[in-house]
Amino acid sequence: MIGVSRESIIKALSTRNLIIIITVAFGILPVLLGFNRYYVYLATQVVIFTSMVLAWNIIGGYAGQLDLAAAAYMGLGGAITGLLLCYYHLTPWIGMIVGALAAVGLAVAIGYPTFRYGLREVWYALSTISLVLILQRIYWLIYGTTEEYISEYIPYRWSVLYLRFDRYEPYYYLGVAILLVTLWVNITIRRSKLGYYLRAISEDEDAAEALGIDVRRYKLYALMIYAAIVGLVGGLYITTTGIITYRLFDPDYSLSVAVAGIIGGLGSIPGALIAGVILKTVEEYLRATFGAVILGLHLMIYGILLVAVSVSKPEGLAAIFTYIEKKLLKKGSG
Amino acid sequence: MDPLLKVVKVTKRFGGIVAVNKMDMDVYEGEIVGLIGPNGAGKTTLFNCITGFYKPNEGKVYFKGEDITGLPPHVICMKGIARTWQKVKPFVKMTALEAVTVGALLKYKDISKAEEVAREMLEFIGLKKINVPGRELTLIEHKFVDLARALATKPTLLLTDEVAAGLRPFEIERLIDVIKRIRDDLKITLVVVEHVMRFVMKISDRIIVMHQGSKIAEGTPEEVANDPKVIEAYLGIKAI
Repeated sequence: MIGVSRESIIKALSTRNLIIIITVAFGILPVLLGFNRYYVYLATQVVIFTSMVLAWNIIGGYAGQLDLAAAAYMGLGGAITGLLLCYYHLTPWIGMIVGALAAVGLAVAIGYPTFRYGLREVWYALSTISLVLILQRIYWLIYGTTEEYISEYIPYRWSVLYLRFDRYEPYYYLGVAILLVTLWVNITIRRSKLGYYLRAISEDEDAAEALGIDVRRYKLYALMIYAAIVGLVGGLYITTTGIITYRLFDPDYSLSVAVAGIIGGLGSIPGALIAGVILKTVEEYLRATFGAVILGLHLMIYGILLVAVSVSKPEGLAAIFTYIEKKLLKKGSG
Repeated sequence: MDPLLKVVKVTKRFGGIVAVNKMDMDVYEGEIVGLIGPNGAGKTTLFNCITGFYKPNEGKVYFKGEDITGLPPHVICMKGIARTWQKVKPFVKMTALEAVTVGALLKYKDISKAEEVAREMLEFIGLKKINVPGRELTLIEHKFVDLARALATKPTLLLTDEVAAGLRPFEIERLIDVIKRIRDDLKITLVVVEHVMRFVMKISDRIIVMHQGSKIAEGTPEEVANDPKVIEAYLGIKAI
């Protein structure tokens, strides 16, 4: 009986309190970083990346589709937000929504035929990563290699309407807000019918179909939610960096998101969260220290980590949490 | 009385091979129909044609008088036909309870209600290990989860594909009891594909024998067991 109450304590720890702990931790982080401009900028990048890993968890973790199009949806959301801001002075508050909706539209346009004709596994992965490259080339054809600087069009030093700030804290906190919403979406889906259905689909599509699940439709739902969040994040990304370029559609970024999701443990919320934070921090650290010396070192480290995880703990970081949880439970009842 | 399930001249070809050849089958409400035949007779292919996983090349499938030929599997499941798998397709990351809850969600939108139904079904089947992940269950336990999962969709017709294969004698006795209770207590009509004769002879009201894609005999267990054509199909001798 003690074991049961302990279990409920752990359960409480892993959901409601988890969110409170995360909120507080992210909330005070800039203070701990001494409001250092560069560190807060990096923290913003970490928060943006982690939001994307959590969003990826819905399609990659729950639904089990190896999606590599994160940079396509992010780039589309970002480019739309940025270009509307530069050329039409449309506030990013609306631009981000338009960008997210465009990403959802793209997801439907790509996802419907893909799922209709049953593209699975490696074929799905290949088709999604090529989507990133296709969008990159399309952007290139239209706008060339010129980089648009938002600061040249919107010369405000501090404007809430246009999301122009001369510090990174506002962007950081916006990122944290999106991260928390994404976290909430993840938890809600996991406990919902959609979550059960997606997990069934990732286990066996035929068995899921035989249980009355419209596999294509539910996969498309997962893809749309993921694209919406990633498109929104893209809008924030563009206002943070302030540069609109074809480099937004970066296949490396797509890979990093999926790798973090896999290392975190497919379908695990804390796994995705922690893997996102750690990997991006390490990546940025490596880039800052060795970036100029050895190009792409962080990608090599990713590769090594991926091999290490797949060999030793195929369930990713999530397996470590389960292990700790089990240990705690044993102590309680023993 | 109109049959619950009516299969009319269904043919399914794979390249040059005819797996199911002009198969006719009627199943009436409240029956347990045994579908037997040597390996490769086309029993599983017929199941796949009925449940929408294959589109038949010719022929029609009617359920409750409605033409369901070529509908996608999830729509057919929603109409009330559930199935189990010869080669189990377990949900290994989910617990047995979660797996069966997935099935229950078809008719019960609320998670806690669906979970309650799932618990009932697992209790009905007699599976105790409901909170361990699928990867820790044995093959036999997977078969029971598969059955419970299908039952949780609250079907009118259940097609089971070799549930008894690999079971030990006392487990077969238990399964016979479970199958009978599915019909009597849950009011579900069954078509049972089976190789274990002891099992299929005991539970079936009527047996249909398939050979090389077609029906070669039909009748009560006794009639079928003494049919020379059936003996020939199984043993390959001229029994005249």
